[in-house]
Amino acid sequence: MADKSKLGFEFPPYSIRVEQNKIAEFAAAVAQKDDTDSIREIYRDVEAAKAAGFENIPVPPTFPTSFVFWTGGGLLGTVKGVGADVSKLLHSEEDYEFFAPICAGDVITRNMKVVDMYDRGRKERKGWFVQVTVLETEITNQRGELVMRARTTFMERE
Amino acid sequence: MTPRFDDIQVGDAIPPYTSLPITRTQLVRYAGASGDFNPLHHDETFARAIGLETVIAHGMFIMGIAGEAVTAWIDNKCLRRFSTHFLSMTQPVDLHDVEKTQARATITVTGKVVAKYEENGEKRIRCEILAQDGQGSRKLTGFFVAALP
Repeated sequence: MADKSKLGFEFPPYSIRVEQNKIAEFAAAVAQKDDTDSIREIYRDVEAAKAAGFENIPVPPTFPTSFVFWTGGGLLGTVKGVGADVSKLLHSEEDYEFFAPICAGDVITRNMKVVDMYDRGRKERKGWFVQVTVLETEITNQRGELVMRARTTFMERE
Repeated sequence: MTPRFDDIQVGDAIPPYTSLPITRTQLVRYAGASGDFNPLHHDETFARAIGLETVIAHGMFIMGIAGEAVTAWIDNKCLRRFSTHFLSMTQPVDLHDVEKTQARATITVTGKVVAKYEENGEKRIRCEILAQDGQGSRKLTGFFVAALP
């Protein structure tokens, strides 16, 4: 079960350059396209992105989820980091606040910490007890600007 | 084209968006693009070991589809908040039985404008959204906030 001593735990900061091809691959995945030629222009054409008011090719809204799992042992390592068991885990909520665009060429730094851990339901009622863990992730760019904040809630079944 | 604030009324529906039937191949593509390699989403043996019939889609893939629905209507740049609760699991289509299984794997996103207001010097709208499959099973609910011209 989730280890409550991990409340307040901060994962090691992680920096990554936002690559144009990576954006295109993600855009193709969520648009269910088999190639990156058929994704929306702003995700593959710098001029189209600029015409839409961006400095460079922007990321799709949920792209920042891809900043989480490429470090610290991947998904399984990250889950273990809070003492949880992946086979009992359900992602229950995701909440994004956007403060400024993230574009190709940006170098972002991700700071993620455990901000809440609590029980929900009653232990004596089987199937009605879960442990809830909330992660907050702040993403800053190479200029030190906070560009977005994510809150991720997952539940661990007993 | 992003709609203009003055042309939007509370209660207006956002244009509905329907996905293709989600395949296991798309789940693998999404895993590779996002880095979420939870075996629950691609490894049938793992899914069965934890008591599921088959693999299920990433919640974040469904939210990604909802993101497509939202940014098909308003520019990506206008988005200020995007928040969802995941309600149920989504099984992909079985390619040997498409007819019977495509409805459970096809996601339709609908929504409506619930508020118009000014905040941080911007004209903003708040919209509630719902994603459900072709059988009416609710996959996620949530809302987004957009700043409009």
